Amino acid sequence: MDPDPALAAGSGVNGYWPWWAGALALGTITVGYALWTGRGLGVSGAWARVLNWRQVRQLEQLDHAFDDEAALHAAIEAATLQEFGQGSAPGGSAPGAYVASATGTPVSQTLNRPAPRPPAPASSSAEQRPMPVACYATLLVAIFFGGLIGAMVSGRFSVRTDMGPGFSQIVTGNPAVMVVLLFTGGLLVGFGTRMAGGCSSGHGLTGCSRMQPASILATAVFFGSAVCVSLLLWKVI
Amino acid sequence: MHTRGGLMAGNAVFGLALGFSLSNIGFGDYAELNHMFTFQDMRMFYTFVGAVVVASAGTAVLLRRRPAGMRIHAGVVPGAMLFGIGWAISGGCPGIPIVQVATGYLPAVVTLTGVAAGMRIYRWANGRYLRLDQGSCGL
Repeated sequence: MDPDPALAAGSGVNGYWPWWAGALALGTITVGYALWTGRGLGVSGAWARVLNWRQVRQLEQLDHAFDDEAALHAAIEAATLQEFGQGSAPGGSAPGAYVASATGTPVSQTLNRPAPRPPAPASSSAEQRPMPVACYATLLVAIFFGGLIGAMVSGRFSVRTDMGPGFSQIVTGNPAVMVVLLFTGGLLVGFGTRMAGGCSSGHGLTGCSRMQPASILATAVFFGSAVCVSLLLWKVI
Repeated sequence: MHTRGGLMAGNAVFGLALGFSLSNIGFGDYAELNHMFTFQDMRMFYTFVGAVVVASAGTAVLLRRRPAGMRIHAGVVPGAMLFGIGWAISGGCPGIPIVQVATGYLPAVVTLTGVAAGMRIYRWANGRYLRLDQGSCGL
């Protein structure tokens, strides 16, 4: 579908980057981040770790404390039992058991939260081990300052108590309804990205560019549902 | 690069670049976002698709070690669906409300609070009821 010429011209007036400049920037950031840190870029994962920083720190300390793999397995298993009760822990604590659990047994429930790092066998890449939680916090803070610099330089910075004319026209101009909708939307974003295991950066950019089926599926679904809701908001409400 | 300092520096550099780029692309602008999702203006859609193409090429050429991604677990489709609905309503995928606050949109703080609450609720719900095995530390 061709863009509406008036609107396409409009976006030029707004001073936003043309599509190819944005594509180059985001694509370069995705690859550069992976090259530099050895991990895929993912903002929702960073959020999750920062929000659970207490547990993540505990696990980091645990990891330092137990250089011995068997002791680490025993500790993780004990924690699992405590959290999920009997029957949720795998039978043995053989070195392979924990890694195998990533594909089947409920121990990996814990993987989903602060992500205890599996005792890395020689074959595992750095990518499977989360960075220290301070790195994820740095990423989020840096996004803020990057956004601030971008807004200042482009002259778009202005403190306001609404979400801009677009939100007022398309969604609601009522401040109370706006707060409810923003919170509800955020709730869905937080819940959904953790459930799907990634967001527009983790699944959309990193996962899709690596041709990972789960990410391509997730991206198609979240774009699809966003299109449906946006059309409803625009046309109906 | 993989020392603690190196990782911190990498996150700082690319976080700054990401925030700057997202701001200039207009992902924090609700009107632009809605225009993309309703196909009125394809600029940001092309930006996203182009970014995936650039990243795919870069990944193919530069990244020798690519870890196996997560498998398609039971949470991918419903999770992505909920995320898409939330994104269309609030205009925020998890990084965007940060950029919105940085642009001066104060109510985006509410979106951020919602995101944090949603993640917390998911953690609780998954531990207690859903018990999804995502086989991944999360992207």
